[in-house]
Amino acid sequence: MEERNLTQNESLEIITRMIKETRNNLEKDGGSIYLLWGYVWLFVSLAIYFLLMKTGDYRMQWLWFAIPLIGYPGMIYLLKKEKRGAITFAGRVIGNIWIVIGVVAALLSLYMFIDYKAFPILFTMALLINTGVAMSGLIIKFKPIIIAGFLGILLSFVILMLNGLDQILIFSLFAVIMLIIPGHILNAASRKVKKA
Amino acid sequence: MFKDLDPLLHSQLRLAVISILVSVEEADFVYLREKTGSTGGNLSVQLEKLNEAGYIEIEKGYSGKRPRTLCRITEIGRNAFEQYVEALKSYFKATT
Repeated sequence: MEERNLTQNESLEIITRMIKETRNNLEKDGGSIYLLWGYVWLFVSLAIYFLLMKTGDYRMQWLWFAIPLIGYPGMIYLLKKEKRGAITFAGRVIGNIWIVIGVVAALLSLYMFIDYKAFPILFTMALLINTGVAMSGLIIKFKPIIIAGFLGILLSFVILMLNGLDQILIFSLFAVIMLIIPGHILNAASRKVKKA
Repeated sequence: MFKDLDPLLHSQLRLAVISILVSVEEADFVYLREKTGSTGGNLSVQLEKLNEAGYIEIEKGYSGKRPRTLCRITEIGRNAFEQYVEALKSYFKATT
């Protein structure tokens, strides 16, 4: 781009093109983060399910902490790798929502050390995270994420109707519904936008 | 009656930079260079002009060990852009 004066038509064309370049697409680049959390969540919860079924040893529940222990370093790595160069208002709001959800999830998990019967942890976690997914979807106005979030909120209540190992199995299913499927759809949408 | 077009914005690269910055909260130098397709040297000069006019603010820092220049539009810059668009509209109204 050179430094020169413009005609009115050229001005309009530049404004339209530059705004179009940045519109929404930045927030829709987050598919890989959904996939990271989704697959870690799925594999850890399935591992706990099968280990509990085989051994019946409830110390296997410690493995839940593998989710944040793998997820957070992985997310930091991905964010550094996919450095975006620009932050939109919507992107910052979504980031802040997930920071709050992360803090609340950590506090809820830690409270389990004090009283593990205080509240149904799997239901609470599923409801909390699905709420975050629904809010993120509404902010970026992306239907698959909105549907996944609200479907997840509704299905969270199914956990309350189940007992024991079945709860864990349903909990692992959430990873597919609210993170893995939307993550793949987001990536596909992002690739389509970049090609256009 | 035509409104005057702000001469600071009525230039290809400066208008492109301001158009990007009204759409995002902040953008770094590399992002602006890629989106505008400009050279680093030219972009630096034009960013400095916008900064001197108070249209944008520039923050120089580091991302890890690499230097990083972040740019944000100011209220003055946002108003100037809105007025520029209004002036542009008046030209098109007059010609249609």
